[in-house]
Amino acid sequence: MLSRVIGWIDQRFPLTSFVKRELTDYPTPRNLSYWWNFGFLAGFVLVLQIATGIFLAMHYKADVNLAFDSVQHIMRDIKYGWLLRYLHSTGASAFFVVIYIHMARTLYYGSYRAPRELLWWTGQLLMLLIMASAFMGYLLPWGQMSYWGAEVITNLFGATPLIGDRVVLWLRGDFAVGDATLTRFYALHYLFPFLIVAMVVIHMVALHTVKSSNPSGINLAAKDNIPFHPYYTSKDFFGLGIYLIIFCVFVFFLPHLFIEPNNYIPANPLVTPLHIEPEWYFLPFYAILRAIPDMLGGVVAMALSVVIFAVLPFADRSSIPGGAHYRPVFRVMFYVFIVDVLVLGYVGSQAPIGFLVPLGQIATFIYFATFILLPFVSKAEDRWLRARGLPPELQALFEQRPPREKWLRK
Amino acid sequence: MRIAMKLLSACMLFWLVGGAYAAGMALNKVEVSVDLPALERGADTVIDTCTVCHSLKYIRFRDLAGLGFAKDKVQAWRGDSPMGSVIASKMTVDSALLAFGAVPPDLSLIAKAREGGENYVYSFLLGFYAAPDGMMTNHYFPGTKMPDALGIAGVTDAAQRALLEQKARDVTSFLVWAADPHAQERQTLGYYVIGYLLLLTTLLYFLKRRIWARLNTIQQNQHKE
Ligand code: HEC
Repeated sequence: MLSRVIGWIDQRFPLTSFVKRELTDYPTPRNLSYWWNFGFLAGFVLVLQIATGIFLAMHYKADVNLAFDSVQHIMRDIKYGWLLRYLHSTGASAFFVVIYIHMARTLYYGSYRAPRELLWWTGQLLMLLIMASAFMGYLLPWGQMSYWGAEVITNLFGATPLIGDRVVLWLRGDFAVGDATLTRFYALHYLFPFLIVAMVVIHMVALHTVKSSNPSGINLAAKDNIPFHPYYTSKDFFGLGIYLIIFCVFVFFLPHLFIEPNNYIPANPLVTPLHIEPEWYFLPFYAILRAIPDMLGGVVAMALSVVIFAVLPFADRSSIPGGAHYRPVFRVMFYVFIVDVLVLGYVGSQAPIGFLVPLGQIATFIYFATFILLPFVSKAEDRWLRARGLPPELQALFEQRPPREKWLRK
Repeated sequence: MRIAMKLLSACMLFWLVGGAYAAGMALNKVEVSVDLPALERGADTVIDTCTVCHSLKYIRFRDLAGLGFAKDKVQAWRGDSPMGSVIASKMTVDSALLAFGAVPPDLSLIAKAREGGENYVYSFLLGFYAAPDGMMTNHYFPGTKMPDALGIAGVTDAAQRALLEQKARDVTSFLVWAADPHAQERQTLGYYVIGYLLLLTTLLYFLKRRIWARLNTIQQNQHKE
């Protein structure tokens, strides 16, 4: 019966062949490590955020007089409302943990390099959309930190030359963050996840065109590929189990870790909290904003720090394929960069006083220096590695395709 | 990439510890209680004393009955107000402003709404003392407009202080419940969910191992050929 139904569909829609080509038989390098689980996990987190979000939206009220109370109504009176809300609020942080690890993996193994530029750039757009969604979602509980966070961040757009004031007005819908801001953020917070889904589809099309990279960075011969199913389905589901265990520890036992005490106080435009601090996932960028003494300069630096990842495919000029696997200098740079981002995160979480000010500035300098130096360092490293002699598998690769000829282009 | 793993766990710890705040005077730690008699004593004090000035606008009398308090107890608390009404303050905002120059905040979420959480509430309630100039003040909220509701300032007798500390502990326990009434249910469910996930993930691990084992045999066969 089932096969007849599928047969009927297949005559009208390429269901079986699509599933076969893109899922079950989809060729995947056999040597992927567990760091390759995070793309699938990001997809899972997205689905969970949308699912919990839709149910929260059934009870939430986007009105400055009702928003805070409606969240408490969800937390107290709706059956398992607290679970929905904690899944969603913890899920936002989990989303960033997962995509930051996913990005770090891409950096470490050089997965952004040709021919995966478009894959990388669509990933960048995804990150921007996720950041925007998270920022707008954070306003909805309408607590003190929601309100003042939105006030401060929208205020940054005032640094836009000439039309700054008008941009801020346009974003807020009013002269200060208020009902107009809340309702538009709510509308957009519902819209953006579906834009993200569309972008994920594009990301997947790009991935399935160029296929997964792998830890060695060398494009593997066909015999080293294995079908996605059952090998990577089983591996992804095991990874999902591990992820869910960690996630549920936070949801069931530490859900307040990601909710500021100040956000349990209803928004009050007349009382400014002592420390206004963005969520942890924005802290490194916030530190960069504050490292520059000038407002416009700070905003530009912050925006640049988010989008600068896009230059990596051009900035990395090594002819050795992949990332850190065959490239010790690149590996050192990677770790310096990661530590630097953690330092920035710490600086961003503290009041800007004492040694933290110069520390933030030095860390900001190192952040950008990494990108600026990469072309030169990667070239020099390339020369040094060749002079030292390449491992046989790379040697073989270059003998097949002389280095002058761009071997990456098929 | 093993280093990355270590880095990751190190920075998680760092954030958890770094999240602790730096306040003026170190807070006293309180072991909040979840058993019914303690919560009931706490509710008694809160409704008798605190609601003279404060409200608990997210708590209904019905919720108190739902928690398992004796029916006549809830009856006594609510007087003629219906079961569905919230715990209101006996004082209007205007008269509070007139009397204290500050509006007493709603207490439903107070155990979560301050840096330090329950430890802060507990320390604050016991932190009142008379300054040298005779003015009442508080170690944890200097210059607060709230009077010494439990009457701790000036009590020097150890036994009496212990009684008040017990009272503050009960009040704090009740306020912690009020701020997150489903916490118990959440944790109980959490143990089941995580237990189930551990089992499932172990099975998934062995499934994955078995599936990937096929790959080795395929490879060996290829080598033989
Ligand atoms: C006579 C009126 C009155 C009574 C009774 C009273 N409070 Fe208050 N309370 C106040 C006022 C007024 C404030 C605001 C203080 C300020 O902002 O300076 C306040 C503030 C507080 C705060 C917040 C402190 C802060 O950090 O902002 C807590 C917690 C609190 N009260 C708990 C209690 C508890 C628990 C009780 C019962 C044991 C109680 N209060 C009884 C009047 C009262």
